[in-house]
Amino acid sequence: MLLNSVILVLREVLEAAVLVSVLLALAHSVRLRRHWLWCALPLSVISVMIYSRALGTLTEALDGAGQEVINASLQGAVFLLVPPILCLCTGFPQSGHRRLLGALMGLAVTFAIVRECAEIQIYVQAFSAASGQARAVWAGSALGAGIGLSAGVLVYAGLTALAPVASRRVCLVALGLIGAGMVMQGTMLLEQVDWLPQQVPLWDSSGLVSEQSFIGELLYAVLGYEATPGALQVALYGASLVLAAAAAAVGRKWRISSETTV
Amino acid sequence: MRSPGYLALLLALAVVCLPALAKTPIFELEIRDHLFQPEEIRIPANTKIKLVVYNRDPTPEEFESYELNREKVIMGGRKANIFIGPLAPGVYPFFGEFNPRTAQGRVVVE
Repeated sequence: MLLNSVILVLREVLEAAVLVSVLLALAHSVRLRRHWLWCALPLSVISVMIYSRALGTLTEALDGAGQEVINASLQGAVFLLVPPILCLCTGFPQSGHRRLLGALMGLAVTFAIVRECAEIQIYVQAFSAASGQARAVWAGSALGAGIGLSAGVLVYAGLTALAPVASRRVCLVALGLIGAGMVMQGTMLLEQVDWLPQQVPLWDSSGLVSEQSFIGELLYAVLGYEATPGALQVALYGASLVLAAAAAAVGRKWRISSETTV
Repeated sequence: MRSPGYLALLLALAVVCLPALAKTPIFELEIRDHLFQPEEIRIPANTKIKLVVYNRDPTPEEFESYELNREKVIMGGRKANIFIGPLAPGVYPFFGEFNPRTAQGRVVVE
């Protein structure tokens, strides 16, 4: 129970922590203050409580597709927030835009935390109440959360240790990849409830990097790594990256034009 | 103001989707005392099936499979629908993420 709790909580926390770290490092590189995080965290906690409590009922909504549709929507929402964040960060964030950028980052963090952490809440609440397991569940969960958060801190430290321009570039690319990964995982959820047709895997790289390994989990958190993706997933992943690159290019153009007019 | 093209598209979609809905075979699975019953389900190759998982325990469970790319939380006393396939023949393990030591099973596609 102890080890299981560590793994379960680590998996979920890692994904949210990587996104939060990249956004924090990005905010650091454009000198955006962290107000947005202090608003997003309590909002996330409240949302996780509400969502996990309602999950049983929500699962049976939409003819049994409720859980997947909501989770895919949360991932889709994070994905949709990525291009405007990229555009604003590569652009010329003035005070009004800065507030908008903070709001977008806060929303992305909230959606990601609700998606990842509702499961932790459900697990801990149910199994810590079971006799004789409370200590193992709490200790394991704390350990898992600790390792996940430490990984997040390492990612943040690594990103901010780079030279400012390099740091911003790496953050922008990482955010584009995270957004693309969200889209890919979201489509799989919709396949699960038959809202999208099941895809034949294009390849199987599980022999190379297993999704169950720590590296696999880390790649999943950063790149949305999937050992057996279908054509639809690969196409959407590529399209998401193109969209992210386009958003960054628009932001750059915007900055250059505003610099030449000033 | 619906154009005939729009209606034709809807009709085409209905023609494509309806037979698929009607013919999807249903397989059932139970979670009891953190065990899957039965542990093994056999399904035909290259066929989409609907798996209905009943959680008879009071505690929640998460149906998870890396090989099938499936994950779904099933609250205590509730059920969940999970579509699987069409798949190539093979063995696709699944497990309960909340109790992975006991809750283990597999889909055998043949």
